Amino acid sequence: MAKLAESVHLKASPVARKQRSFRRTNVIGWLFASPWALGLICFYAIPMFASIYFSFTTYSILQPGEFVGLNNYKDLFNDPLFWKSIYNTIYFAVFFVPISIFFGVALAMMLNLKVKGMAIYRTIFFLPTLVPQVALAVLWMWLLHPNFGLVNGMLASIGIDGPPWLGGEAWSKPSLILMSLWGIGHAVVIYLAGLGDIPDEYYEAAEIDGANWFQKTKTVTLPLLTPVIFYNLVMGTIGAFQQFTLPYTMTKGQGTPANSMTFYVMYLYENGFRYFKMGYASAMAWILFVIVMALTALIFISSKRWVHYQGK
Amino acid sequence: MRKSTKLAFPTLVSFLTISVLATACSSTTPTTGGTNSTTPSSTAASNEKGGQGNVTVTMWHGLTSIDLENMNKVVKAFEAKNPTVKIKLVYTESNEGADQKLLTAVAGGNPPDIAYFDRFKVGSWAAQGSLTDLSTMAAGAGINKNSYYPFAWDESNYKGKLYAIPLGTDSRLLFYNKDHFKEVGLDPNNPPKSLAELEAASEKLTIKDGKRFKRIGFIPWYSQGWLYSWGWSFGGDFQDKSTGKITANDPKVVDALQWMTDFGKKYNVEDIAGFTSAAGTDEMDPFISGQISMKISGNWTVAGIKKFKPNLNYGVTPIPTPTGSNFTTWSGGMSLIIPKGSKNIEPAWKFLEFLGKEEGQYLLNAQSGMSVIDSVNAKFGYKDDPIMKEFVNILPKSHNRPVIPEGQLLWNELASATEKATRSNGTPKENLDKVTETVNKALEKYNK
Repeated sequence: MAKLAESVHLKASPVARKQRSFRRTNVIGWLFASPWALGLICFYAIPMFASIYFSFTTYSILQPGEFVGLNNYKDLFNDPLFWKSIYNTIYFAVFFVPISIFFGVALAMMLNLKVKGMAIYRTIFFLPTLVPQVALAVLWMWLLHPNFGLVNGMLASIGIDGPPWLGGEAWSKPSLILMSLWGIGHAVVIYLAGLGDIPDEYYEAAEIDGANWFQKTKTVTLPLLTPVIFYNLVMGTIGAFQQFTLPYTMTKGQGTPANSMTFYVMYLYENGFRYFKMGYASAMAWILFVIVMALTALIFISSKRWVHYQGK
Repeated sequence: MRKSTKLAFPTLVSFLTISVLATACSSTTPTTGGTNSTTPSSTAASNEKGGQGNVTVTMWHGLTSIDLENMNKVVKAFEAKNPTVKIKLVYTESNEGADQKLLTAVAGGNPPDIAYFDRFKVGSWAAQGSLTDLSTMAAGAGINKNSYYPFAWDESNYKGKLYAIPLGTDSRLLFYNKDHFKEVGLDPNNPPKSLAELEAASEKLTIKDGKRFKRIGFIPWYSQGWLYSWGWSFGGDFQDKSTGKITANDPKVVDALQWMTDFGKKYNVEDIAGFTSAAGTDEMDPFISGQISMKISGNWTVAGIKKFKPNLNYGVTPIPTPTGSNFTTWSGGMSLIIPKGSKNIEPAWKFLEFLGKEEGQYLLNAQSGMSVIDSVNAKFGYKDDPIMKEFVNILPKSHNRPVIPEGQLLWNELASATEKATRSNGTPKENLDKVTETVNKALEKYNK
């Protein structure tokens, strides 16, 4: 240390000094990051690699189990509930992600208008995201109660016989998608930031060319919003595949009715912690990882065709 | 010099956090519920040698309000009798999370000495080798199958060995709304005994408006109307006691599911699902709010009615059977176990023994529930209470769910088979054949 400190007083060449200070900031940076890095290795990296190994065993948490090669994977492919949970999860993702992007962008554009009291509207749309998921589940169960719920009550008052919502096999997932749209506030905030980033000059130029609102949206707003849409698409897809809290709470972990609400992560949890099949659950986790990874890669590859970064 | 002080702060920060992290993971620091947290190991060791040191026994539980007050009384009474043993109660929330905590504690080799534990899980945990065998100690203390109701003893045993001391219990009966009975001209003092009577009453009580039920008489699978409740009431059985194999496709269980399915068809299953899917709880419970006239439920509902609608005019009666006789039900409940890896088995057993006998059972279940000892229930005056006596009187004939390593799988499979069959997704027989096959296949690996 002392030697290092002394050497600084010597006239070193600017390049060497730069290198040295660079090295020093590096050390400081790493020192600050070390607790996090240690935690990452301890609590993420090691368990992750351990679970690869476990997925080839009959590990039960309480017993080490034995090595069974690809048996877990074979069993999974013969497990009807595994396929059902994949179907449910993909169904949810395919509908929820595009719908949430559409509504998110639309809402953000509305909340970007220069209207009096806009701050209040923005707050109102962000508020639902602050409600804990479990409380949200209970609230919606009431709203959607087939016989006594507010939603069907309103429908009845205009003469429509409402659907069974969460009680019907065909209706349970659409109900969940509807409920999940409540959590759109986060995405809207990000879209708003994206909208704020679009320079006014573009709109002025478009107006001089006589563009109407629709043309401005199509040629200026949406293309310049694509990086943000891209971000939300990736995060939304990953999130949709990890759907757990809402359906778990609403169905008390049972995925009722008729397993139409058994999502992939729910079934994984059931296997790992209730049937003591941690090896099986680990295999499921890695299959999920591969699916999500592949989808994310696809989105990234496709992004070159439709995402526009300003100034490029 | 200046430079070295520049590095000093981040170094300090990282050193501190790393040391915190390190101590958090190390097993020598007192963490909640660690067995060696308050007892220096020297005294524990001296105690095992017959020394005079105090032992602290840690117990994890999920008890709240009245149950916790009762448990505190139990601890007081116990410590007065056993001055060398201190019981330390540690609250771990009473849900799935508690199970996971216990699971990781056992897997990590640092479990509590005692855990408050659902008897339903004795089979699966014992099969994993995670529970301490209590057979010898129980025999020495005079605790045997005659101490408790038969189902409670059976449910605490796995493959002929005792792994748990049963504490409280429940039973399932048919609740019926006497006012509704009067209103439609049924005798409120003569509730349905046979299935035919149940069907007739249900028809009279139901008020339907289009697809919507203004009031429904009865739904077989609502609340506690599990296939277990009906299967046993039909005289079926779910396990072959001699081979241990699961017999969910027992013809009488199939009959039960067939009856449930036919019942549902009569009222249109989709409409019933609309009713049950989001039925409320507490004061919004359909039975309390008068939206359903009869339901199968457990004795805990009695307390709920007292709390939310004390003037509800209702009665209870055994679950109707095809013949109108041979009533039965099934019971579950909690227990105490000593996890594998406990360092204080002897003193922990003393506490289990105390709770396994009349005095402990009386203190624990007072004002709160039913004991697994018949004389204690008599002491509570349950046998003189018009409602509670029905719950208590059926206990000697009650069943327990099969004690197998895959109890949870069997439960889920039966629930899903019931749902599928009643929604006409496969016949009852097909569905139950499948359950039997799936569960027996899962059980194979334990018989190697």
